[in-house]
Amino acid sequence: MSSEQDHLKDTDTEARFDFKQEERAAVRSEKGLTEEVIRMISEDKDEPEWMLERRLRALRQFHEMPMPTGWPGQPDLSELDVEEIVPYIRPDVDKREGVDDWDELPDDIKDTFEKLGIPEAERKALSGVGAQYESEIVYQNMQEQWEEKGVVFMNMDQAVKEHPDLVKEHFMTTCVPPSDNKFAALHGAVWSGGSFVYVPEGVTVEMPVQAYFRMNSEGMGQFEHTLIIAEEGSEVHYIEGCSAPKYGTHNLHSGGVEVFVGEDAHVQYSTVQNWSKNTFNLNTKRAIVEAGGTMEWVSGSMGSKATMLYPCSILKGRGATDTHITIAFAGEGQDIDTGAKVYHNAPNTKSTIESKSISKDGGRTNYRGLVHIADGAENSSTAVECDALMFDNESTSDTMPYMEIEESKVDVAHEATVGKIGDEDIFYLQSRGLDDDDAKKMIVAGFIEPITEELPIEYAVELNRLIELEMEGSLG
Amino acid sequence: MSTQVHANLTDEQVRQISGDLDEPEWLLEIRLEALEALDDLDMPDVIRTPGRDWTNLDELDYESLVDPLAYAEEKDQVGPDEADVLPWADALAEHEDLIREHFGSVVDPQENYLTALSTALFSTGTVVYVPEGVAAEDVTIRTEMNSRSLFNYTLVVTEESSSVTILERQSTGDDLDGERYYSGIVEVVAGENSSVQYGSLQNLDEETYNFTVKRGDADTYATVDFIEGNIGSKLTKTETSTTLDGDGAETKLVGAFFGHDDQHFDLDAKVWHRAEHTTADLVTRGVADDEARSVYEGVQDVGKEAWNTSSYQRENTLMLSDEAEADASPKLIINNHDTEASHSATVGQIDAEDLLYMTSRGVSERDARNMLVEGFFVPVLEEVAVDELREDLEELVARRLRE
Repeated sequence: MSSEQDHLKDTDTEARFDFKQEERAAVRSEKGLTEEVIRMISEDKDEPEWMLERRLRALRQFHEMPMPTGWPGQPDLSELDVEEIVPYIRPDVDKREGVDDWDELPDDIKDTFEKLGIPEAERKALSGVGAQYESEIVYQNMQEQWEEKGVVFMNMDQAVKEHPDLVKEHFMTTCVPPSDNKFAALHGAVWSGGSFVYVPEGVTVEMPVQAYFRMNSEGMGQFEHTLIIAEEGSEVHYIEGCSAPKYGTHNLHSGGVEVFVGEDAHVQYSTVQNWSKNTFNLNTKRAIVEAGGTMEWVSGSMGSKATMLYPCSILKGRGATDTHITIAFAGEGQDIDTGAKVYHNAPNTKSTIESKSISKDGGRTNYRGLVHIADGAENSSTAVECDALMFDNESTSDTMPYMEIEESKVDVAHEATVGKIGDEDIFYLQSRGLDDDDAKKMIVAGFIEPITEELPIEYAVELNRLIELEMEGSLG
Repeated sequence: MSTQVHANLTDEQVRQISGDLDEPEWLLEIRLEALEALDDLDMPDVIRTPGRDWTNLDELDYESLVDPLAYAEEKDQVGPDEADVLPWADALAEHEDLIREHFGSVVDPQENYLTALSTALFSTGTVVYVPEGVAAEDVTIRTEMNSRSLFNYTLVVTEESSSVTILERQSTGDDLDGERYYSGIVEVVAGENSSVQYGSLQNLDEETYNFTVKRGDADTYATVDFIEGNIGSKLTKTETSTTLDGDGAETKLVGAFFGHDDQHFDLDAKVWHRAEHTTADLVTRGVADDEARSVYEGVQDVGKEAWNTSSYQRENTLMLSDEAEADASPKLIINNHDTEASHSATVGQIDAEDLLYMTSRGVSERDARNMLVEGFFVPVLEEVAVDELREDLEELVARRLRE
């Protein structure tokens, strides 16, 4: 193991995530969702009129749409009261677009990100970092070499002002319109912060760019928006991480992610999600992939009370490719309902979905997937593989794939297996001197290896460490 | 939410049907309660994904399809001497207590709008009763529908350590103009250590809407196997399922379908593991040609107390046309970790290499295609233990390919 891995391994992950700072707010909205709150957010951000109008329209759609109910086996959202959520907290920092030097941040915010290891990672492995605290990006930096090539990596609020044409065209229009679902509408009304990434034609950003989202205040909602535009033949890897301490009242995270993958472009979007176990995590993430383009989703879903998240790729151009690799871990009191959606709308498109889940101590995981092959998407192929591992009889694991096939010249395969940890495997490892817990940890590590292989080493180690902590039952 | 109010159905009609069959008062009461419940019941569940109901059962005009008193059918009910295979009225006369005990015990009459409609209006039925220790082979039930609508009910009860094989065929006789409605409910109560094989072959004409529920309840060490062939009908919504209620119970659900023109098949295969050491195997294969559409939902539900469960499911659809559509949702619901379960589903077309190989050996393209389709059904046909059913199914597939 390299010294870097050792360093990360030694980090006390529990302490890294589950600490609280005093709330520091320059502006804090009222609870609930009213036109006044929306106008206040927009005014505080000094937004152009068109954005305010989009927000207000989304708000109307939010009020018109019903809550998602009646899905078979869906997570219980009855404890989520949107009217009790504070949708907007602007932290008390000097520079609105975020500082580009960690030392310029107030000590407690800097301390937060130091504990999370973000500045460390930036120095070592990343092309750029955006760090969001509550509702706004407080730190934003991009290495000069990429800026010189025309790569843009800035916070979303700033992009509204500095790149209005690109934002006007792409922001919640064709990819994730607010009418998509109730929480997309909510997001469209109250969104704040998040990242804007633009990669010009032919540019390869060799190191990942990263955004980290931290919720600190009790009872707040975080609604960051991520918009990635990768022009023809470009390549970029975007990583997001997130966390929040645990409070008595519920938090809501409802992010929106829109990715535009140009012709022959390649975008990887990696997430390690570790919200505290009182957070409702209801996101909409979607990519539109042009001819020859590739979209890769890599997700580790660890935290939250309930997650409903189905990253989606629309394979719009001939020969577009999608890869989904997901892992979900549900411990006590958690309901992780996650999966993948792929629309094959053009010929010769291809998707592979690999999903792994682990449930333990009464947790529930569900793979909910939809693969749609449109009439005319000939010679398309899709392969879906789901494996679930269950630790005990209090836990639940479900698989609910849906396949809609309107084209005959296709190759569609879905497979899923569920099993308990093999007694023989444990016996074998114990006979080699491992105790029961270590044997189980090792089996889980092997089980999720196909996922961790896809992540940069820091994230892979973090994911492994988080799972180990879950197995020990030491994460709150 | 009620689906639709059936204005032209009356208590009197239900009383008349019940009277014609010489039914006891308790059964009339169940029928009348089902009729009354229609106003409040929903349609059976269908698969819903965002923006889409895969089968629209609300669309049907039940008022014009259902003519409750104008029922007509031809029926054969044949079985060996050791078992009772009886028309409904005879069965009531001979086995009222048995029927009273089991009627509605496996399929709740008020489960949904269509089961309630069936319960209120069924005019024909069969009871198969196999006493303890008896092995009854070759029970055949043939129903030929000769009216606008027909509601059919079947009850199978096997006592301890008995066994039975049943072959049921549904077809249409007299030519009638316009659309028709066929509804069938099958309840199988398999006693301890008994074995039931229930094969059915649906070959209704293609103006007929078909709703059926076949459900078995397997006691300790009992086996319930269903074989389901769907060839005919305009639209079929059918569920074949088994509840494994006793330790060591087993089930096999085997399905084959072949849709062409604008036929619509919505097929559910479900198993409920509710006891220890139970085993299930769900196998379905189907072909969709022309503008046909298949919707498949397979559920393997493992309950909290179902220790040491084994559960497998496979579904394969072969698409012969670009206009055809196939939807599949094989679901796993697992509440006990001591489970070995898997499911798989595939959709594809005839393998181009196989076709090339055969045509290069001098087989015409059409013959080659037909042989490959027939070959596709082989793994399912192999699961069919009743020779007659297998041969009939092969013949219907071959006939359709020759059309």
